[in-house]
Amino acid sequence: MNGYVEAGYVVVLGTLSIYGATLVTRERAARRRVGAATSVAQPGVPTEPQVARGDAPVVNHGGVEDEERGSGP
Amino acid sequence: MPARTVPPDRAAVALRVLGVTALVGVVATVWLGLFVTPPDEFMGNLVRLLYVHPPMAWVAFLAYGVASLASLLYLWPRTRAEHFDRVAGASAEVGVVFTGLTLVSGSIWGRPTWGAWWVWDPLLTTTALLFVLYLGYLALRRVPGEFHVRARRSAIGALIAFIDVPIVYLSVEWWRSLHQAPTVLNPTTHKTYVHGSMAWTLLLGFVSFTLVYIWLMAHRYRLAKLQDREDSEGLEVALAERRAEAVAG
Repeated sequence: MNGYVEAGYVVVLGTLSIYGATLVTRERAARRRVGAATSVAQPGVPTEPQVARGDAPVVNHGGVEDEERGSGP
Repeated sequence: MPARTVPPDRAAVALRVLGVTALVGVVATVWLGLFVTPPDEFMGNLVRLLYVHPPMAWVAFLAYGVASLASLLYLWPRTRAEHFDRVAGASAEVGVVFTGLTLVSGSIWGRPTWGAWWVWDPLLTTTALLFVLYLGYLALRRVPGEFHVRARRSAIGALIAFIDVPIVYLSVEWWRSLHQAPTVLNPTTHKTYVHGSMAWTLLLGFVSFTLVYIWLMAHRYRLAKLQDREDSEGLEVALAERRAEAVAG
């Protein structure tokens, strides 16, 4: 077709994919750290950080994380 | 007690649906843009960059508009809330990514069309300035300080940077430019210069990449919220550790 056209599409789609994947990975890592920090702050208490009104709970009951939450393409 | 799972919250489900919809839209845009729409009479196959380059610029403008609106709402005492600062930061960061892609995809288009990767054209120059201004805004956000002081100066920075957005858009009208005037909605002639399957594909590109923007911004917002919570809980954790050490000792 045209090398410039393919290059344009690859750059756009590749960059957006990498950025999106990075955001999702960082979000999951931050969610794990917040869960771990809460369990350190409250030893013996099941890991369940407080949730602001209208926000998603960040860790499931019993310390089981929902790995799939908020993921997308 | 056995661990039990909690169903994903509505926001997470909505975000996932949005992500899948955006992905389908982008795949359809790429398929239509590369394989279905016809080549242009003058530009040939290079016109296929039309389906990604203008949507990148549109989303960048949209992102900066949202960042500015959120900054205004933060600065206004009656609407001041931490989430407006996070929305501004998240939207501006995504906007910087889309501005970078606007510059790169435009450069790739410019090389075979103008014979140069870069020219100091008014539109290109003001867009590059926009990119640098919002990089500066993101750097300003990282300057340490008390939350509301940092948020206030960042909001002012976002509003100052936004001044360049209408200048970028109107630069092709104000100055002699190598870049063509707006194709979809020309502010001078009020005409549309793209029709048929090309117009529909371009429209789909605008919608799809706008959905991608919303999806990215939502994830960036959630990350910022978690990071803020991590920062505020850091002290609490340190105190708990000291207490545990004191008890053990």
